[in-house]
Amino acid sequence: MSTIKIGLPSKGRLKEDCLKLFSKKKLNVKNSNSRNYFFQFENNKKYEGIFLHAREIIERLNDGTLDIGISGLDLLMELPEENRKNIKIMKELNFGFAELVVAVPNDWLDVQNIADLEEVSFEFREKNIRRMRVATKYPKLTEEFFLSRGITEFKIVDSLGATESYPFTGSAELITDITSTGTTLKENNLRIISDGKILQSSACFMISKKFKGKERDLFI
Amino acid sequence: MSVALKKKKKKEDISKKILSSFKKKGFNFIDLDMVIDTDLLTRRSGEAFKKYALNFKDNSGKEISLRPDLTIATAIQYIQNKRQVLNKISYYGSAFRLDKKGKLNVFDQIGCEIINSKSAPEQLVLTTILSSFRSIQKKEIIINDLNLFSVLVNLLNLPKRWKLRLIRHYSRKDYFNELLKRLETSYDLDQKKIKIDYNRLSELKRLNQKKIIGGRSVGEIVSRFEKKIKDPRDNFNGSQSVKIIQDFLKIRVPFKKLQISLNKFFIKHNLDKSKFNNNLKKLSFLNSSIQSNETIIFDTKFGRETQYYTGFAFSLIKKKKELARGGEYNNLIKTLGGKQTPAFGAAININNLI
Repeated sequence: MSTIKIGLPSKGRLKEDCLKLFSKKKLNVKNSNSRNYFFQFENNKKYEGIFLHAREIIERLNDGTLDIGISGLDLLMELPEENRKNIKIMKELNFGFAELVVAVPNDWLDVQNIADLEEVSFEFREKNIRRMRVATKYPKLTEEFFLSRGITEFKIVDSLGATESYPFTGSAELITDITSTGTTLKENNLRIISDGKILQSSACFMISKKFKGKERDLFI
Repeated sequence: MSVALKKKKKKEDISKKILSSFKKKGFNFIDLDMVIDTDLLTRRSGEAFKKYALNFKDNSGKEISLRPDLTIATAIQYIQNKRQVLNKISYYGSAFRLDKKGKLNVFDQIGCEIINSKSAPEQLVLTTILSSFRSIQKKEIIINDLNLFSVLVNLLNLPKRWKLRLIRHYSRKDYFNELLKRLETSYDLDQKKIKIDYNRLSELKRLNQKKIIGGRSVGEIVSRFEKKIKDPRDNFNGSQSVKIIQDFLKIRVPFKKLQISLNKFFIKHNLDKSKFNNNLKKLSFLNSSIQSNETIIFDTKFGRETQYYTGFAFSLIKKKKELARGGEYNNLIKTLGGKQTPAFGAAININNLI
């Protein structure tokens, strides 16, 4: 019988919550603090595990080199259909909560909602002869959300980190970013606009559609 | 000869004939670029257009698109050649567009455009296109003046920002319908937030008004905030305006019954008919240039999805297939980076013709 290939996030709170979740199913990872990327569960040789970046887990599930795994809904939804068509979400889990939101400089008093942003974006283009720039790590979700709300006058600026700084360094005018408490946004003088929630995300138990084992129902 | 070859030959023969008739009317043939700078496309209609164009990155990382439309390609060429004089252009080629599911559609088109004409170019383009279809019987011509919608919206009892919003998004049908729903409920402002922000407003007023915050000056933010507060919010009847707009968009009548139909509409909603006079006069004039044996339908919804149409637009249909389409696009050249230039053009869809 072939082993079940499982991918779990390699660091941070998400990794800890995943390990707790599996231990509730009596699946305790051997040497979870080791720097070795490969892992096994104690007293269970059915699984072959690997700690990976959460985005990598999705890619490996899609190409079938992983059978099951845990990653964020935000990361999954950001990928084009082609890169996630072989993945099925089996369960949205009770941790890893975060929201992808639209945030503007706190001092943009006149921008309270998307309707305001739409209006300002047109005015901005006319005045500056260029489109408003939106810094984000989520270009696809941002673009879809903006277009569905009638905002067409924008340009995506890909961000690799410290997205909150972009509006104050002249690299973008506003941002979309993932946040769980909103504290980082507030501390960086940014404000979430009232109807600017793009996605409510959490950690998800996902499987490769090719995988037919009964372990697909592990958390159901 | 194979069926495909026969079809190709037929297409070429018809195209030659049509182009030669265009030439007799003074249109000069030009070759259009196959590839367009994507940034120019998004400058015109924002990021939305990328969804319908086939986009690539060249070796330098620059985003380019296969031309999704030959009118846009013509306008870009006009700007790049720095032409300021009257241009009567004809072209032949393919346009590449993705449908909602991402499937590529290729349209073979022959078109003619008049750019920067001081006198009304609509009649010449319309008659030139129609002359190519003289032998086709039982065709239907749909016409509209998209400017009528703007005239109507400007007569409604609505805040300026709502009028602008409705006109800007008229071409985006789904979003426009969402806007109408919002207008019915007058959703717009969060009163609680406004109270909080008043405190910050006084602080902002004390700052240097030229200071830039997130790409916008403090003065600009303060001015828009105050304008927004003063713009009527509670004393306009959004649902009444929605009813008027919805009634207007239902008008689809044979052209000879247009006056009666519009009169009824104006009376029902107590609208000033004289504001529409210029547009209606122009429509009547164009109608007179179409042969009387054609079926002409006036449809207020027609052409709205073509974002760059600004006024008169028409379509020629036979058995539910569109053979040709055209319209006025007075703002396109400006939004692509040129000067404000009046333009009118139309294209024949060769695939549907064959």
